[in-house]
Amino acid sequence: MSTITLELPRELPRQTDRSMADTTNQRALDGFLKAIERRALRMTELATASREEALDLVQDAMFGFVRHYADKPQDDWARLFYRVLDSRINDWYRRRQVRSRWTGTFLRTSDDEDDDPIVQAPDAADPGPLLRLAGSQAALALDDALRALPHRQRQAFLLRLWEGLDVAATAAAMRCSEGSVKTHLSRALAALRRALEDHQLEDHQ
Amino acid sequence: MNESDPQSWLADARARLDESAQSLDAATLSRLNRARQAALAQRRSRGLRGWWLPAAGLATSCALALAVLAWYPPGHPTQRVAPAHAPVSDAEIAADDGIEFYQDLEFYAWLDAQEQDSGG
Repeated sequence: MSTITLELPRELPRQTDRSMADTTNQRALDGFLKAIERRALRMTELATASREEALDLVQDAMFGFVRHYADKPQDDWARLFYRVLDSRINDWYRRRQVRSRWTGTFLRTSDDEDDDPIVQAPDAADPGPLLRLAGSQAALALDDALRALPHRQRQAFLLRLWEGLDVAATAAAMRCSEGSVKTHLSRALAALRRALEDHQLEDHQ
Repeated sequence: MNESDPQSWLADARARLDESAQSLDAATLSRLNRARQAALAQRRSRGLRGWWLPAAGLATSCALALAVLAWYPPGHPTQRVAPAHAPVSDAEIAADDGIEFYQDLEFYAWLDAQEQDSGG
């Protein structure tokens, strides 16, 4: 009984391997972004004090990260993603600074919304994510204390102690030296501790 | 916050931040999901573009080469350009010396024959 052997073209396994690798990479990217997106949004929200702005910036960061760094080793993804996000946040600060300079010089009027107490009043229907969940003043105090920090100190704290990046990865994400990260972190810890202890003392009184 | 443990406030802060990230509302989570899918779709489309572009470039080059061969086949006469030092034709000499040269041509032939006879 004769046997028939089929010889497949040599390119076919290579193409299949490549498409399988692409699919695996897509799944890994999806999993990575899914795992990181909520914390990234909260970090950006603390920096911008706006959910809408934060969503836009995180989306931009996702696009930039996937476009430029998706082919990098997975171990580097976190620091590269936060590097892109940090860059987007810095750009946002610069744009806001320019906008506020122009509006402050030419467009400020006596009936400016900044002076309107009704516009400036906190929205009772949206107390913020921390307060909504915990329902405690401590959560709000932490939010306020983090927002009050300078941007670099807040990023050092959140990336190093919340996201869990090591010092080198935090420095790479923030595009600064490891020594700067330690300095920013030390100042952030001192300021946060002071703010939260003050809040605790106020609660006890 | 526990005052006895200096690190407890840090653990509390981390826990509260985790809670805030986990308690995002459905609309926000939906937008995050759409943003992620759009970013990944961009990569997929780029991957397809990356494969098709070289193939399309090669096909265009081949089509151009065929078109050139069709318009200018190898045996097709092409316009010739005169070389910089081309030999001077009789007509050009005539133009320089005038028509008198041709009118006295018989005289010059006779003179030439006389010189040959006297020399020989």
